Amino acid sequence: MSEQTARLIRTLLLIFLGLWLILTLFPLYWQFITAFKSAAETNRTIPSFWPEVWHFENLVSVFAEPTNFSALVDSFIIATGNTIASLVLGSLAGYAFARFPRQAGGENLAFWILSNRMFPPVAVLVPMFFLFDAMPWGTDSYLSLIILYLVFNMPLATWLMMVFFRDAPRELEEAAYLDGYTPLRAFVKVTLPLVLPGMISVAMLCWIFAWNEYLFANLFVGTQVRTFTIVIPTFTHGSQTLWNLQMAFSMIAMLPPVALFILLRRYMVRGLSLGVVKG
Amino acid sequence: MSVADMPNAEIPGAEMPDWFVHKKPRANLIVARWVPAALVGLPVLVLFAIVVYPTVWMFYHSFQDTNMMRLFQGNWSFVGWDNFGAVLSSGRFGDSVVHLMQYLLFGCVLQVILGTILALTLYEIVRQEWLRVILLIVLVLPMMLPPSIVGVLWKFMLTPSNGAVNQALLNLGLVDKHVEWFNAGVSLWAIIIADVWNWTALPLLIVYSGRVSLPPAVYEAARVDGAKGWLVMRRITLPMLKEVIAIAFIVRFMDAFKFVDLVYVMTSGGPAQTSELPAYIAFQRGIREFAIGEAAAYAIIIFAISAVLITLFLKYLKKVLKAQGIA
Repeated sequence: MSEQTARLIRTLLLIFLGLWLILTLFPLYWQFITAFKSAAETNRTIPSFWPEVWHFENLVSVFAEPTNFSALVDSFIIATGNTIASLVLGSLAGYAFARFPRQAGGENLAFWILSNRMFPPVAVLVPMFFLFDAMPWGTDSYLSLIILYLVFNMPLATWLMMVFFRDAPRELEEAAYLDGYTPLRAFVKVTLPLVLPGMISVAMLCWIFAWNEYLFANLFVGTQVRTFTIVIPTFTHGSQTLWNLQMAFSMIAMLPPVALFILLRRYMVRGLSLGVVKG
Repeated sequence: MSVADMPNAEIPGAEMPDWFVHKKPRANLIVARWVPAALVGLPVLVLFAIVVYPTVWMFYHSFQDTNMMRLFQGNWSFVGWDNFGAVLSSGRFGDSVVHLMQYLLFGCVLQVILGTILALTLYEIVRQEWLRVILLIVLVLPMMLPPSIVGVLWKFMLTPSNGAVNQALLNLGLVDKHVEWFNAGVSLWAIIIADVWNWTALPLLIVYSGRVSLPPAVYEAARVDGAKGWLVMRRITLPMLKEVIAIAFIVRFMDAFKFVDLVYVMTSGGPAQTSELPAYIAFQRGIREFAIGEAAAYAIIIFAISAVLITLFLKYLKKVLKAQGIA
């Protein structure tokens, strides 16, 4: 290949990258400007690409509807509760798989746990609905979603914690044993601090997945408990869709996952590729 | 000149990737026998309650004539393969399989190709480290958004009469009248567009990180031998990234079989069921149309296909991890 063709291909690729960047940013830009438009301006026949008047108060008026704020609180409680449960169960099992593979049931069991991560949720929705309906906590509660989200978060936490525990050198733990530490103390004092960064990233990953979840929430909750993911699509005023307020609301709701992603993007890759690719 | 002789073989980051280095098996630490079993047993119990039990329940009801009323009265009866027969012979299922193919081709294959091109362009052509990091963060942002927000945002932008997309297309002169994005035959494309925007970032991120972790020493050797550009890409980079690209592809592929969110938010399968995917119908038949036996048959079919895919994926993952010395 000649030097010129190579340069041409490079330029074309760069142009493609630039175009893709514009395509990626345009919807976010649109969300941003719409969030500050007036309701009348969003309904014009010819949409404006820049707000005439910046209605910064939109960010506040979203919460004039008290259920909107409580939806964020509900989402937060569910995501946090589920993260804690996933992390506790996942770390213990991950530790057992990493350090005592044979007694813990071997790699086939570990792979089976992971396989639940990819499981199609439609296969569990209906029976779980009737099961929870018969339970004291019912379907429309924090606990029901906290438990259901374990379907995808706990296998992920188990698997990733196993990978992180394997990376932590076991010699230190063995040395602690020789110093007379009990296994529990060796785990808490020696190994846990070593895997803490990995653990935090798993926690944040689980939290994002639970925060963003839509399908389970849509079926199971809606009256007493409402997550923001099911509130935003239905957030209307009579028959009129308040696009500006919907966009303002979604901008606020997407801040936590975006901020977490920027903080932990290096670990994110590892989590999303199930530990295969090191970020 | 061998790789080991080269001056920069010593610098950090120049070592071989993990899957070249094997770890030796070692003796186990000592705890009571029941401890590891108990630590693993707890999550396994939870999974039995929330995954295995419901699957068995669905399997059972896929052979019963259960609907919502019979379920509450408790008087369903065995109907053999009737539910599967009804599903497989219905036009609705056939159509949804065609829709799924369309979605797989554009939602998965296209995303992995685009993501790979973008990731390698970003790594190989953009020179400044800080610029690469910023671009990467921006390109991956869509993936962090909740699917319901993605759905609402695109539904808004694709509004036929005064949506941003139609207006932009008109201004650029690409179309001469408004595109009816939510008409029959077009609405599935609307979903696919939103999905490509949302998920191309996943293969991009995975392939980019895979490229970062390739050893610079190999490229140094190639440079010394006088290889460059496309040759290096074709003979070194792409073969070494084979596993990583495959994993990105399989992850997307498995997601396709449970993909419901955007269908639900953007079109609800409409108009006239022209944008339904199998997972959406399973959901709809069971929850909204009360035909639980048939919904179970849908779910079991999806489950069977997923099980095959998951098994294949895990086999592959095991191979990759074995080579890395992790498993």
